[in-house]
Order: sequence, then C-alpha cells, then structure tokens
Amino acid sequence: MNTSARRLSALLVLIPLSFFAAACGGGGSTPPPPPPPSGKFSNASLSGQYAFSMTGTELCGGVGSLFTRIGTFTADGNGNITTGLEDVNVCPGTSTLQFSGGRYSIGGDGRGVLQLANNTGTTDYNIALSTTSAGMIIQTDAAATASGSFQRQTASAFTNAAISGGYVFDFNGVDVNGSNVNPASYIGRFDADGAGGVGNGLYDSNIGGTASGQQAFPSGAFYSLDSNGNGTNYGRGTAVIAGRTCAFYVVDSTRLKFLTTDFPSALAGDAYAQQNIAFTPSSLNGSFAFLIGGSSSNGPITTAGRFSADGNGNISNVILDENNSGTVTLLPTGTVTGSYTVDSNQFGGGTVSWTDSTVGTFSFIFYLISPTKAVFQEVDSNIVSDGTFTAQTTTPITAASMAGDFVLGWSAIANAEEDYVGQFTLNSSGSATGLADFNVFSAGQPFLAVPLSGTLTVGGDGTGANTFEATLQGNSPLHFTAYAVDPNTVLLVGTDNNIVIAGPLVRQP
Amino acid sequence: MKSKVRILIGIVALSVGALLPGMIAAQNPQPPPRSSQTSARAAAYETAKEVIVVGTVVSYSESSMSRPNGTHVLVKTPNGNIDVHLGPASYLRANNFSLAAGDSVRFVGAISSTESGSVLLARIAQKGSQALAIRSTKGFLLAAGAPRTLPQAQRAQSTQNGSAR
Repeated sequence: MNTSARRLSALLVLIPLSFFAAACGGGGSTPPPPPPPSGKFSNASLSGQYAFSMTGTELCGGVGSLFTRIGTFTADGNGNITTGLEDVNVCPGTSTLQFSGGRYSIGGDGRGVLQLANNTGTTDYNIALSTTSAGMIIQTDAAATASGSFQRQTASAFTNAAISGGYVFDFNGVDVNGSNVNPASYIGRFDADGAGGVGNGLYDSNIGGTASGQQAFPSGAFYSLDSNGNGTNYGRGTAVIAGRTCAFYVVDSTRLKFLTTDFPSALAGDAYAQQNIAFTPSSLNGSFAFLIGGSSSNGPITTAGRFSADGNGNISNVILDENNSGTVTLLPTGTVTGSYTVDSNQFGGGTVSWTDSTVGTFSFIFYLISPTKAVFQEVDSNIVSDGTFTAQTTTPITAASMAGDFVLGWSAIANAEEDYVGQFTLNSSGSATGLADFNVFSAGQPFLAVPLSGTLTVGGDGTGANTFEATLQGNSPLHFTAYAVDPNTVLLVGTDNNIVIAGPLVRQP
Repeated sequence: MKSKVRILIGIVALSVGALLPGMIAAQNPQPPPRSSQTSARAAAYETAKEVIVVGTVVSYSESSMSRPNGTHVLVKTPNGNIDVHLGPASYLRANNFSLAAGDSVRFVGAISSTESGSVLLARIAQKGSQALAIRSTKGFLLAAGAPRTLPQAQRAQSTQNGSAR
C-alpha cells in the first residue's frame, strides 16, 4: 500500500471511532451524546454470540484478490465486543485470530457499525439487522471489501454430538492448482454421525467450467469441534468435506459455516441440516425462486428467476434474468421446455435443465435441503455459478402486502467489487425510502448513510419478474428484476449493463 | 462513479421528488416490455477455437461501453479491426501492462459473440517482450485469484503494509 492509501485507511478508521465516541459521550468539549435512536433496534438488539461468514476482495501484491473469513463475535448488548475468534484465508495465507475486543453501535433502523480488533489491527464493518438473531454484514476497510451474513449461535450445539444427521452444503470461491487459477463451486451432502464421522458424502464440483458429475467424498472425511477450548467457547472446529480441508463455526445444529484452509485455494459457504426423508421426483413440486452468482469466461455473472416443478420430472413457467458481465439475457424469449431428475439414491441430489427455443439451454445440479429449499449450481459451459432455490408462496403478492421495513444485502462487480447493506421502508404503493452503506473497492473508501429511494413494481400475482429501481443519492439508478420468495424475502438481480449486482431483501419485524 | 457533480445532481433530483411525488410518478415513463430488453446469451470461451491476433492498437479503453464489461482494446489487423477484451483495468495496471495507440501487440484468445458484436476474449496479451496471462487455460479471468500464486514474500508485503485482518 502506498503512502496516500495508508493515510486514507487511517482516516477511514477514524470515522467509526468518532461515531462510537459520540454515542458513548465523553468529557470536556465533547458534545453531549445524541438521544437514543428511535426505532425498533438499539445496541441491546445485538447481544450474545454471533457466527459470521464473508467473501470479498483485498489488496494482494497491489491488485484485488479474493479472500474469505468466518468467525464469531460476542456482543454485550451495550456497544462492546467482549471476545471472539475468526479464521481467514487471505493474501499471506490462512490463520486463526483471537479478537481482543471491539465496539459496535446499532441505530433504530437496524443499521450499525462494528469494529473487531485482533493482534493485526482493527477491521471495520457495517451491518443491517433483519432480526436480533441475524443480519447482513459488509467489510468497509479501504484495502478490503466483503459481504456476508451473521446469525446468533446456540452454544449448546458446540459439541460433535450436536452435529448429527444429513447436511447439504454449498462452497464457492477460487481453486488454485499450481499456476491454474479458476473459479470453483462445490455443492453436495453428507451424514454426520454425531461423533466426528462422515458418511454418505456426495458432491458435484464445477472448477473452471468443468463439472465433475456426482462424486463420492474421498477417504478421510471428518468433522471435529476443537478440543483446545475454541470448540466449547466459540463453536469452532475442523473438517475435511468433499476432499477440502476446512475450518467451521457452528451456528446451531442446523447450520454450519465453512471456510477452506487449503491455501492458495479459498472457498467458503454454509451447510444446512437436511430433512431426513427419502427424496424422490415428487419431492420437487411447486414454484421456486432462485438466485445464483459466480464467474463466466466473460467475467462476473449472476442469474435470478423462478420455475415450476410438477413432482413428475417436468419444469414449466421459467422466467429468469442473467447478467453475464453486462450482457443481460431474459427468459422466456422463445418457447421454454424443461425437465428435472432426482437421484435414485434418494439423498436429494438431482438435475434441472430447460431450453428456450431462442436463447438455448440452461443446466443445473441441485441438492435438496428439504422439499422447499436446495443448493443450486449451474453447470453450463464456461460458467461457475451457484446459490439456492426456495419454494415460492402460493399466496399472490401485491405491493400492499409487501409494505413494511426491509434490509438489503447486495454484492456487485463494476470496475471492481462493491458491497452494500441498508435498510428502507416500503409503503403500500411500492415506494421505498431509507439509507444504505456501501464499500467501493476501486474507490478505496466506503460511503455511509447514503439516502436510498426506490420503487418496487409488482406485476401479475407477484411470483414472476417484478422490478425494483433503487437510487442511492449521487449515483445512477440501479435497475433490478425482483423475484419474490414470499412477502418477507425478495431476490434481486441487476439488469444494468455497467454493473453485475445481486442480493436479497429481507423483511424486518 | 461517486463524483461531486453527480452527488449534486442526485440531491436536486431527490428534493424535487420529495416535493412532488405524485407528479414524478405520473411523468415517469413506463419501462419497456421485457421482450425488448433481452440480449442473446454471451458465448462461452472455446479453448479449441483459440486464435492468435497480431496487429496495432487503434484505441484503448479501461471502461468501454462494449460487452463484456472491462478493458477493451481495438486492434488493427490485416483482416480488419478486432475488439479485444482484457478484463479489469486494475489487474493490468498492477502488472504494469499498458497499451496506447500505435503499440504493436499480440493476443492469444477465443472469439466470442456479444450483443455489441464479436470480441476476442484474450488469454494472453503481449507487447514487445512483455507477456501477461489474462485468463486461465479454461478461459476464466485470472484477476481475482492470480495474486494468490505470487511468491510468499510478495504476498506477505500486504501485511507489512498495515492491512488488518
């Protein structure tokens, strides 16, 4: 980092420090503390142990480079971080770092700032609480931006015994094999035996556009909560999943956060408890909304949409938006036909494909978490992209039923990575007003508390391609297609040519 | 992207919108139908169809309006001008690779089609004796992951420069 960049970094660190100082008051000439924030949230809303995961871009050798971090922090409900631990897979390598402290402040709208300190320094984050148990998080340092989520941990699940039964996972990032550097996605499932053993491990990888087909886990798969105190105190453990060496943090017995530690490769993602049923084609029956993202040979790519499955292998009613490094393709353009399969082994894996008579064929792999949710991986040539699909509500969605408060969590690539969190209120006419915080890697600085205005336009029964236009003050409008899962969750995909952006809207209570 | 001029323009627009929400809504044009907004799907990188392009730089843009997003260079060849995609400008700058009109260049890559026409997705860019790998042998941009293959001393420099983890 050059001198000016270091100075910029130092200045940016001062911004949240000043905010904390004001929030906590002080002596002498310090202005009196502001009144308590009005709204649903306050510092007390963030209380207890939370696990987080993030993927982003950092400066490495003078250029932006992917990195991952997962960990846990403990908030005291009064603006202080009392302890925590994280694993990072960053430019210099992998490491496990103890948090020595930190501060945070939550506004009435659920937006907040967070600082986590360890022996390498202090990292800055902006967060948006969707509830007191979960939220969106972005890193807002000058030399690093990242986005992800956090959830409150259940300490009683910090044992090997609590990790038991089937789990479905989705890891993505970059695979480095010698001088071969390629985007990578792993999705699959395994059974945890409650004692550290892993069985029935299956996965599909897509490394640099080469799909592996379903593979059994190589020998050596395991999971184990740390025995040095980090397991019982923080829910940290190590594992080998799908042949990748990992660290993980327990959210609760239904959710684990993973990060691969086989540097220089770097992948991260979550595992979700899988419903204990025998999955068949009839397990996939209804309408589903999906959002996936990754890379193509053109650059960043993201796709969102919806489809219907009839429980008998047929796909219909496909609508989607694909933004492939600025080339936006919409379905349907011609006539779309599709089909799906569910693996005969009944572990929940399967395939989906559909063909638009004008545009061509889209092919995917999935592993069902339950009949209403799955991890989803595209396997078309020269595309590495993954995410989830979720059953859509059967109740029509209207602008009026969408009214309320929402948090946003978006990740984007324009000239470089940009990460966004925010909060807004949507009225019954679809008008949105709120504030957003975002970090622009190419600018080397975050933009905080930026006024957001927008409009959600709902068409038909609301389960198709709706639109959302958002303007962050001082910037050009962002145009999205909005696919509603239900009145509480909307998946957005940007349709502008100059930015690839996607992420969810999640209702606040 | 975040220039002061644009911030000012944004403030004016927001103020007017706050005062006259009904009027703004009434004057907003309806978006065009979805069917008119779609583009053909961007073609994939076909390794088997790699070509070598040799020519002279006509123009160079770090933020071209052409697709895919990123740096484009227009190269004059004996067979006509060819649009070449080089990915993020930051990656080129970090590797001290710059181009200007009149430079003699050589690219290895695959021709792809986009809504704005044919484009060479460059895998290797060469100017004089300087060659830079832009894409992996599978056709994916190296920008996001390549720094991880740098020597340890070069990567460790990031930490010495003071970035907290």
